[in-house]
Amino acid sequence: MTKWDYDGPILEIENLSISFFTRLREIPAVMDFSCVVQPGEAMGLVGESGCGKSTVALAVMRDLGKNGRIVGGTIKFKGRDLTTMSEEELRDIRGSEIAMIYQEPMASLNPAMKIGKQLMEVPMIHEGISAEEAHKRALEVVADVRLPDPARILNSFPHQLSGGQQQRIVIAMALMSKPALLILDEPTTALDVTVEAAVVDLVKDLGEKYGTSMLFISHNLGLVLDTCNRLCVMYSGEAVETGSIADVFDKMQHPYTQALFRSIPLPGADKNSRPLVAIPGNFPLPHERPQGCNFGPRCDYFKDGICNVGDIKMHDIAGDDRHGSRCLRVDEIDWNAPLKAVKTAEKTPIGEVVLKMDDLRKYYEVSANKLFGGGDTKVVKANETLSFEAHEGETLAIVGESGCGKSTFAKVLMGLETATSGSIMLYGEDIQDTPIEKRSTETVSGVQMVFQNPFDTLNPSMTVGRQIIRALEIFGEGKSEEDRRNRMLELLDLVKLPREFAERMPRQLSGGQKQRVGIARAFAGGAKIVIADEPVSALDVSVQAAVTDLLMEIQRKNRTTLLFISHDLSIVRYLSDRVMVMYLGHVVELGSTDQVFSPPYHPYTEALLSAVPIADTKVQKKRVVLEGDIPSAMNPPPGCPFQTRCRWKSKVPGNKCESEMPPMVTLAEGHQIKCHLSDAELRSMEPVITIAAE
Amino acid sequence: MEDHGWGSIIAAFLTQFWPVWLALVITFAVSIRYKRRLGLYGKLFDSNIGMIGFAIVMFWVFTAFFADMIVTHDTLSQISQMKNKSPGTVTPDGASWYILGGDHLGRDVFSRMVLGSRVVIQIAPMATVFAFMVGITLGLPAGYYGGKLDTVLSFLANLILAFPVILLFYLLVTPEMVQTGLPQYMAVVLFLFPLIFLIVLLNSRYYVRPDLRNMLIAGVILIGGWAYLALVSEPGSRVALLPKAMDFIALPGNILIVFVSVVFVNAPTVYRIIRGIVLDIKTRDYVAAAQTRGEGPWYIMLWEILPNARGPLIVDFCLRIGYTTILLGTLGFFGLGLSPESPDWGSTINAGRKLMSIAPHPAIVPALALMSLVLGLNLLADGLREESLRD
Repeated sequence: MTKWDYDGPILEIENLSISFFTRLREIPAVMDFSCVVQPGEAMGLVGESGCGKSTVALAVMRDLGKNGRIVGGTIKFKGRDLTTMSEEELRDIRGSEIAMIYQEPMASLNPAMKIGKQLMEVPMIHEGISAEEAHKRALEVVADVRLPDPARILNSFPHQLSGGQQQRIVIAMALMSKPALLILDEPTTALDVTVEAAVVDLVKDLGEKYGTSMLFISHNLGLVLDTCNRLCVMYSGEAVETGSIADVFDKMQHPYTQALFRSIPLPGADKNSRPLVAIPGNFPLPHERPQGCNFGPRCDYFKDGICNVGDIKMHDIAGDDRHGSRCLRVDEIDWNAPLKAVKTAEKTPIGEVVLKMDDLRKYYEVSANKLFGGGDTKVVKANETLSFEAHEGETLAIVGESGCGKSTFAKVLMGLETATSGSIMLYGEDIQDTPIEKRSTETVSGVQMVFQNPFDTLNPSMTVGRQIIRALEIFGEGKSEEDRRNRMLELLDLVKLPREFAERMPRQLSGGQKQRVGIARAFAGGAKIVIADEPVSALDVSVQAAVTDLLMEIQRKNRTTLLFISHDLSIVRYLSDRVMVMYLGHVVELGSTDQVFSPPYHPYTEALLSAVPIADTKVQKKRVVLEGDIPSAMNPPPGCPFQTRCRWKSKVPGNKCESEMPPMVTLAEGHQIKCHLSDAELRSMEPVITIAAE
Repeated sequence: MEDHGWGSIIAAFLTQFWPVWLALVITFAVSIRYKRRLGLYGKLFDSNIGMIGFAIVMFWVFTAFFADMIVTHDTLSQISQMKNKSPGTVTPDGASWYILGGDHLGRDVFSRMVLGSRVVIQIAPMATVFAFMVGITLGLPAGYYGGKLDTVLSFLANLILAFPVILLFYLLVTPEMVQTGLPQYMAVVLFLFPLIFLIVLLNSRYYVRPDLRNMLIAGVILIGGWAYLALVSEPGSRVALLPKAMDFIALPGNILIVFVSVVFVNAPTVYRIIRGIVLDIKTRDYVAAAQTRGEGPWYIMLWEILPNARGPLIVDFCLRIGYTTILLGTLGFFGLGLSPESPDWGSTINAGRKLMSIAPHPAIVPALALMSLVLGLNLLADGLREESLRD
């Protein structure tokens, strides 16, 4: 017996509480969580890291590890309580009735087993069907997840597929037994934006086709808007608001949901006139949760004596369909009140050219055998004909997906690698051939970098203060130890961290705080040009706004040139003055933010814009889904680098895209694109994003 | 006077170790009281295996330390009537008794076992430290730079690992070999590593503050250099670099050879471990951050990478002391290196081996001692590994 019929909801979770038990104490991870998923419904579970959303998913699978335990409540799946089931019954259900898709596709597949065998296993174990039948079904499902040439795919090993293809296989595997419930735990976080868009599209269509209910876990509100019917917002172990997408997005009834929306860069936000509003304070640790409302200490509407007294229950909002909020003051708050006047700032004037790259190229030679030489040497063209200028006080965003050459470009600029050809002029001085050891201290301290991963950016075994002092020592700042100490404390003030943090170890800091230390370290020598390599992409939404804000503030004060590398177009639109779009080592479009974000686009920019999920129900997007994957830089396509995925290719006469590298065309003052499309075609492009009139 | 029975033997055995018990109780009481503030060492007291291992290891450390208070007889004096006598036998003068009997020369097995721990506890950790120094100094650049350097060094490491260890020892201690001074020349090279290591360590960090740097390095060269010369030079041998008056470390030539062989055999393994960890850590952002602010390669290796590799290294260090202990036993057993009347466990096992069928105790006692110490070290390493992996 594996499948049974049931008329009611697929999943009913009632007052679920989960705790983890460590040596020191019991840590409550999820408290009083309830939700219902109806057949065919997609439920989004949204929240910041540590809010307990993945724990809920694992509890549904009853896979909490040896430290985790369900301490209260029930999880009913098709009417049967999962919390009381035996291991054997659970094994029956897992994979056949409830399937899960995880974040890392490579970690979900067995690297030593062919794809076909892994897929066939599922129905053979759960339904006892023959190998032939299973093979037939595997072929069908692989075709369903839109992978080309299913027979070849089934016969290959996981490492022979790209990340996007692997994730499609994981989805296929989950669908092999036609489960009633599909749990997706951040299924696209590890993928590139354009690949993510295609996978999300697929999940949505398959959900409709197979009639599967979904529990979609994500930190990205835009993604949830694209995929789900209902959502549940979680904060610090509790569901704070739940309801249909329309209700929660447009008529939110909880201060946390509101604050969350105000801290993400939606179209219309602007760093000067309409800055983001960060949520003050920090996420509470599980054992330091406040009395009463967990969000209380960070809430604008907090009232002493009401919000911090007793436990708060979820209650329904009258008039809406299953819309609930965990806020006591729902009726007292004016939800439509406009945002209180926030600090706006003057636009920073753009100054002289400080950095000029001209026809920069960086090639790597990769040989097959390192020890004895020989074999074919392949050339990886990481950067091709890179030309641009950056001005003082300007934010230049560099946009592109993995493999587009943005990291190589950063390395060449920093002097960790030298350029193959072309020139880099920094304050009128050629530095393309000077490796970092030969650069003057002034040049080195003038060009600094902020790194992506906050958990990796600080040396875990050195105090925060020591690390900043070390940067000061290297940059020759300060005359004595005393001097440098004071300067370090000033830097902590600059990034708005308390001075006590100087003595802390990095592990005692949160992600956002570490990133601030990273920024302080970059500015230790009074950097003039700062390369920020996705500085906020690994941070939680509410922290992102604060860190972005800080970067802008320091930029205004020091008139720093910021080279902001990112794949997130929402944040790029919010804070950059000019945008450079890169694809496979080439600059395909360069222009001011307005120029790049409105037509005419380069076809790749168009697809990128369409792929970025936007958490606003008023935004209408034109769907441009790119087929296939980014080609390898080792083996780029002939002609235009984007021609393999371009939907406009047929508009160009005479196969030019496949044979000729397009020239850089200037469309308007400062707006250049690298495309063969004629003027008329370019002018016929429609905007990808339109905001519906209110 | 009548010989003692087993009850009395066990009682005497346990009471003789009273300073060790006292020290152990104090160590554990203090450590458990403050375990939350002691980092990884404190966490050890959360794991039963780790605690047992630590207790056994500390038992031998304290035994070595208090050996003079514990022994009941002189380890070299022979009483001919006591040859191969079983445990609990009273000495002919009736004044005392051999707790664990006498060996083939009529010496006290118990006292020799106790004093034997001193040889192990003195040599094994020190030799392991040197092996680590050599392994680290070579492994860091191999992993960090990669390329040709890595290829050559790894090849050499493999070469040494492929050479039969025992044969190598025999080669090192043959009189002809000793006369050529080869073991001593090897010592000259190997013992230089810690000195270079310290100087590079300090210089890479403090070169930006020249005053402090000069002072520190002068100190290291003066003190470390003297210790180094005293260690390697042996008046009358081929390497006599220091006058006798200044040679404050009198390391017998044989011990020096033991040291050299242990370092020589262990360093390649340490090298490979370090190299592997460096390959992983060098891709971290904080290493890139150090590179982009213009740090030298040695600063990055020694101050950014090495401290973050400490977890696996500490575990391996414990295990490796165990291997070294076994190696010392093996060397003693083959009569290599240490003097014949040395009470070290390997030599005593070998001496007792010949009369195994008549009197097994002279061989069994040191064998059990050796086994328990190695077991303790392995358990300790297990506990450390387990605890360092947890939260």
